[in-house]
Amino acid sequence: MPSPHHYNAWKFWLSRSGGAALLAAFLYAITYPSLYAGGDGKTEQKPAATSANTTTAQKLTGEDLYAINCNRCHAERYPREWTPSQWKTLMMHMRVRANLPADQAREILKYMQEQSGN
Amino acid sequence: MRNYSFTIRLIAALALIPICVPMQTIAEVSDQDFANLKAMVEQLNTEVQTLKTTHEEDQDTIHKLQQKVGRTEETAVDAKQEAAAATAAATAAAQATPAPSNATHDFMVVGDAEVQFGQMIHPKTNATFALADFAPIFLFRTSDNVMFEAGFDFTLSNNEPNGGGYTTTANLSFATLDYMYNDYLTVKLGNLLLPLGTYSERSAGWLNKFPDNPLSRDVLPGNGVGIELQGGIPVGHSGQYASYQLFGVNGPGSVDGSAHASQLDLNSNVGFSSDGTQTNLHSHPAGGGRLAWFFPWKPHYDAELGISGEFGPWDDAETSLWYGAVVDASVHVSPYFEVKGEYMNTWVQTSDMGTIQPRGWWIQAGYKLAGLNLDVPFVSNLELVARYDTINDGLLQNQGTRTDRETAGFVYYITNTLWFEGDYEWLHSAGPNALPSQAYIFQMSYGF
Repeated sequence: MPSPHHYNAWKFWLSRSGGAALLAAFLYAITYPSLYAGGDGKTEQKPAATSANTTTAQKLTGEDLYAINCNRCHAERYPREWTPSQWKTLMMHMRVRANLPADQAREILKYMQEQSGN
Repeated sequence: MRNYSFTIRLIAALALIPICVPMQTIAEVSDQDFANLKAMVEQLNTEVQTLKTTHEEDQDTIHKLQQKVGRTEETAVDAKQEAAAATAAATAAAQATPAPSNATHDFMVVGDAEVQFGQMIHPKTNATFALADFAPIFLFRTSDNVMFEAGFDFTLSNNEPNGGGYTTTANLSFATLDYMYNDYLTVKLGNLLLPLGTYSERSAGWLNKFPDNPLSRDVLPGNGVGIELQGGIPVGHSGQYASYQLFGVNGPGSVDGSAHASQLDLNSNVGFSSDGTQTNLHSHPAGGGRLAWFFPWKPHYDAELGISGEFGPWDDAETSLWYGAVVDASVHVSPYFEVKGEYMNTWVQTSDMGTIQPRGWWIQAGYKLAGLNLDVPFVSNLELVARYDTINDGLLQNQGTRTDRETAGFVYYITNTLWFEGDYEWLHSAGPNALPSQAYIFQMSYGF
């Protein structure tokens, strides 16, 4: 005998269609920058800062971001543990695993490669 | 003769005039003139003395400058020699070290391994060594925005009683093809570590500061086969960011296909049946996601808060749904202290018990004694950890099991990747699947 807690099919499909609409809107929002830039998936080059008071001057360095992010889940790994090429692979892995913003991952990678081993 | 003598005398007198007149004139210099002349001579003498003194000072200065020039020349010579030596060393290093690779493909193996020694105290078992896990992760980078990564868990276990030997189990814990479409969207396909909380992705195995998992993670699926969209969106320039993850997977399944509570199987339904049939056990996938906010206020001081969930049918006939919701949080205060935890609640529609709610939560804290700045050997490498976790399987009063556990332990950091861990656990468990009441575990963990 079916339980009274069993869901109704129409509610299920309503939730699915609503979810699909939200998903489509979300996808459009996050892919819009790429479509606007020509659809090549690359970020537009930002103009250089024109004033010392711009926020560019306050931007965190790769070393700062390394200190902020990399020991949240594990002990910090030393840059010299890996080569520049290996750091590139590892940072792709960590960008995905920790869901890091791309620009922060790039700054951290730059720092790790500068300090890396041979 | 007389005239001649006069003439001579006259001539002599006239000749003496020029001589005598000046003498007469000098003899006639007044005292005033002499005094003036004397003063002038004294003044000249003073000026000469002054010039002499100045000259001596100049000579001294010149001597000092010559000494300085000498030292500068020595320094310049040393610098030249050092520069030449550095140039030679750099040239040798450049010749010995190959240029950084610009290859577009790369392959790496990272991962972790754990070896344990432990014993249950009540009821008592024999203390034992165990290879808890060998978990390599293979990373294949094929371009700047495409990667395949796969993680395995190799474990050992004895065969059935009286069977002899042992079995090596290889479990594919995750395997995903990652495509970074742009800065804000990454697409993952394959066997996903589900972002229900952060434990599966960021705390399991070597990353965990305890040898075992929180009990409450058992109410959630650890992974699922499907697709995930994710990305991080920076907020300002202080390191803050928001992140999202959306996924669709085959979803939980049922052991026998029915909606009986005991048949819920959170980690099956991988797309292929044991007979090779490619099919989902039910006709609709499950969906879910996680939204999170990370807020650092300076390095090593930060907070992260996330909410996540999943829902979908779980029995073959799709008459019942499974829902799960998780709230996760972590806080770091200094490089030495952290607190993190998760609360999870699930709702399982069943055909025999109505909607049951398997649920639980865990919280753990760690403090690195390096923060005390004690100059004592070994102490600075030690971290003290504590955890409380609880699980309730949600079944009816006489069929359900509830367990609370307190754990105290330590992590000794031999290196940044080699840890020696130990903990003692006190369990308070009631129900048909009650757990032992006390246990200790030591573990050597190595991340590579």
